[in-house]
Amino acid sequence: MKKVAKALAALAVGVSVLAGTVAAQAQDKKFTIALIPGLTTDGFYITMRRGAEAAAKAVGAELVFQGAPEFNPVLQVPVLDAIIARKPDAILIAPTDKVQLVEPLKKAHAAGIPVITVDTFIGTGNYQTGAGDADFPLSYIASDNVLGGRMAARALAKAIGEKGKVYVSNVKPGISTTDQREEGFKAEMKNFPGIEVLETQFNDNDSNKAASQMQSVFARNSDLAGVFGANLFSALGAANGVQQAGQTGKVRVVAFDAPPSIVDNLKTGLVDIAIAQHPAEIGFFGVMSAFAHLTGQSIPTAIGTGFTVMDKDNVAKPEIAQFIYTD
Amino acid sequence: MSAHTSTESRADPTQSRSRQLIVRIAALRAWLFLALLLIFFETWSRVSYGQTFLFSSYNAQSIAIFAVAPLLLALGSTFVIISGGIDLSVGFIMGLAAVIAAHATNLAGQSLPPFAAMLVGITAGLVVALGPGFVNGVLISKLKVPPFIGTLGMFGVARGVAFLLAGGTTVPVSNSWFAALGNGRVFGFPIIVIITVLFVLLMHYVLSQTRFGQHTYAIGANEQAAIRSGINVPRHIRRLYLLSALCAGLGGVLYAARFTAGAAQAGEPLLLDSIAAVVIGGASLFGGSGTILGTVAGALVIAVIQYGLVFINVEPFWQFVAVGVVIIISVLVDQTQRKLGGDRQ
Amino acid sequence: MSVQSQPQSQEPILDVRSVSKRFGGVEALKDVSMSLYPGEVVALAGDNGAGKSTLIKTISGVHGADGGEIRFAGEAVHFASPEAARAHGIETIYQDLALADNLSIGANIFLGREPMKRVLGFIPVLDRPAMAKAAKETMARLDFHVNRLDAPVGRFSGGQRQAVAIGRAIYWNARVLIMDEPTAALGVPEQRKVVSLIQNLKAQGRAIIFISHNLQDIFAVADRIVVLRRGTLAGERKISETNPDEIVKLMVGG
Repeated sequence: MKKVAKALAALAVGVSVLAGTVAAQAQDKKFTIALIPGLTTDGFYITMRRGAEAAAKAVGAELVFQGAPEFNPVLQVPVLDAIIARKPDAILIAPTDKVQLVEPLKKAHAAGIPVITVDTFIGTGNYQTGAGDADFPLSYIASDNVLGGRMAARALAKAIGEKGKVYVSNVKPGISTTDQREEGFKAEMKNFPGIEVLETQFNDNDSNKAASQMQSVFARNSDLAGVFGANLFSALGAANGVQQAGQTGKVRVVAFDAPPSIVDNLKTGLVDIAIAQHPAEIGFFGVMSAFAHLTGQSIPTAIGTGFTVMDKDNVAKPEIAQFIYTD
Repeated sequence: MSAHTSTESRADPTQSRSRQLIVRIAALRAWLFLALLLIFFETWSRVSYGQTFLFSSYNAQSIAIFAVAPLLLALGSTFVIISGGIDLSVGFIMGLAAVIAAHATNLAGQSLPPFAAMLVGITAGLVVALGPGFVNGVLISKLKVPPFIGTLGMFGVARGVAFLLAGGTTVPVSNSWFAALGNGRVFGFPIIVIITVLFVLLMHYVLSQTRFGQHTYAIGANEQAAIRSGINVPRHIRRLYLLSALCAGLGGVLYAARFTAGAAQAGEPLLLDSIAAVVIGGASLFGGSGTILGTVAGALVIAVIQYGLVFINVEPFWQFVAVGVVIIISVLVDQTQRKLGGDRQ
Repeated sequence: MSVQSQPQSQEPILDVRSVSKRFGGVEALKDVSMSLYPGEVVALAGDNGAGKSTLIKTISGVHGADGGEIRFAGEAVHFASPEAARAHGIETIYQDLALADNLSIGANIFLGREPMKRVLGFIPVLDRPAMAKAAKETMARLDFHVNRLDAPVGRFSGGQRQAVAIGRAIYWNARVLIMDEPTAALGVPEQRKVVSLIQNLKAQGRAIIFISHNLQDIFAVADRIVVLRRGTLAGERKISETNPDEIVKLMVGG
């Protein structure tokens, strides 16, 4: 299975990094690794930075964290250019557009700076294939969103006793990450014959619309048992729709992502289950992979990181709570 | 004034009963659209599912709750659009107010009881929303910046400030009173719907029964005439943009109460829907015409289309097509009644 | 040397004495004098740029005069704004009429000074019935009868709209009406209607300054004619003692 392969790959990086640590100390060179997030103010990326810093500390590298306040290629490219001018030893970046960031990143590649993309990708996300003009990054390290969708499906199926109707509340088609979550969710639900997946509702990242859609779906399907919100606004909107319909606790809501506010939402029962990504892991593997490459190791072209399933009962436990994103 | 040189064609406004009838119908077109839509969905629902669409209080409430946020933005925009202006910043003023209300409620909650903290949060959200409205008004009335440009700039400013204050994420509120305001019911009616209905009545009164409303129409029709009549037009314009910001602020506060979280992008997707509601409601983007009740119908038309198409399980992208078609028909009806020398108010 | 059509005994309602006005280096008005008596129609004639507009704007408070004085009902006055002039009863009716086309006759008459009433004893609302009643009475004084008082003025003809603009002025007790090209944009039957409106106003004892290019209208309605040329007074004639040829000669000079 693909995810097993990825997990093994991750393990391989970890092992090789240990070896690399020794090598680096022998070389006595302090590497500078730049991390450019999609936006600087988001808890997801702040958490990713935390993981990256932990890795940098472990291997004795310096981490530079620079980015734009909004998720926008127009704002990200100047930051990237400035970083390239400083000639770091490696660049980790969450590209804000899979096409528009290709040319700017080529400049880094041309300057001999290795590029690794984290969270999001350029081109197809399949790197080092020798095909296309966007295969030059060494690796794509991100949550395996298909896996995340599958985990959401399994958690929801369990919560509703493996029967009833469910649907996906999604942002809009064409966003790679949320599309993959929906794909994984639907694929996994095929394993539960008692569950019917209704048509996906797209809400344009408008929680007001997501709430109304949930109410409308429920109006037609009184046996609705659950909703999967493919991102935070979709989930909060759907959860409010459930609340307005007076179905809290009856129609289960699964949210993707775990900002600090999710704790409250789980405790009040607004949201039943949250699928937390592991951004710190992404940051950690990002720095480790860069370091491994810089010390002459080969690294996998794709690494998928894992998820944690949170609910009311486990969210207070430290081993679960550690995956809540930093404020 | 060349339009008035031909005297025969419009000699007596009472000359044609049928023409007057057309004009009356055109003025009520938003309500007609609404009626047609409801008949359509009711028929479909009965034929296909054997259940009622319209006479379900659940559906009615769901649609009403859905319409609250875009309608609140549209109420302020009705005034601004009648005066011949436009306010593109309302979406992000709403987001800003939502974030401020959330922060202020939390902050006040540390030292005050929850009810007082909620009041502080609401007040803070509304007051801060007035800031961008004030700047819009000064830019447009004093510095003669075109409304499109001035409010577009404020769109960016309010957006940036809201994102910075929210730290790029949603700001959760934990206040039981505030949550009850957003999701509670009184006599079975959602509180946010009751508040919105009261606010609609107030705005209808202001637009149709006060000097302020009368002057808004006059400025939209002929700004020079308003100036020569002794109306302080710059001051009036400043008040219009304050009013628009206040409506957006109320939208933001109710959003934060309903979702128990402030989000900077809360109002972003609502801007176009709110302007569409005003236009479907019978206002002209050239100014001079429009009513609050028309805007209410316009907002309900959009809400019913979006809710109803989900209800009958139509491919979601048809929603955009349907709303677009209604806007186009609405504008065509407006053009036609103008040609007929229609009653524009 | 002033010629008058009214009895000498009466005071002029408006007396413009040696008024001058400069715009930078341009002397727009040089030492211009004219007077106006109640119940009199004075036509102001002159080529483009002769100073007609500057003169009426100086009288109506848009511009301040640089020299000379303006006396209204026997007292020297300085109007800082059109509102100040209007408060004295000097109303200007511009060529574009300054009407809000989307509002009714009553709403236009009262624009900026709407009457209010209270419902339930405490909610102030626009007193639309009072506006409609005033509109009906005022328009009747101009021999202009409308059935639908709630119709927006944009639906009336040019002559009817002219009547609304005049109606607004007389409702507020204008004693001096300054009319800028009132017939310019109208068809012939409408022009006749406006001429009869002016005669009606004159009969009510109001004083009128009437700017026009149309000598036919001037001779139809004016008592006196004041001709300006390049900012100076080119001449002043009683209508009964002159003819169009003479006026044209005064206008073009020579």
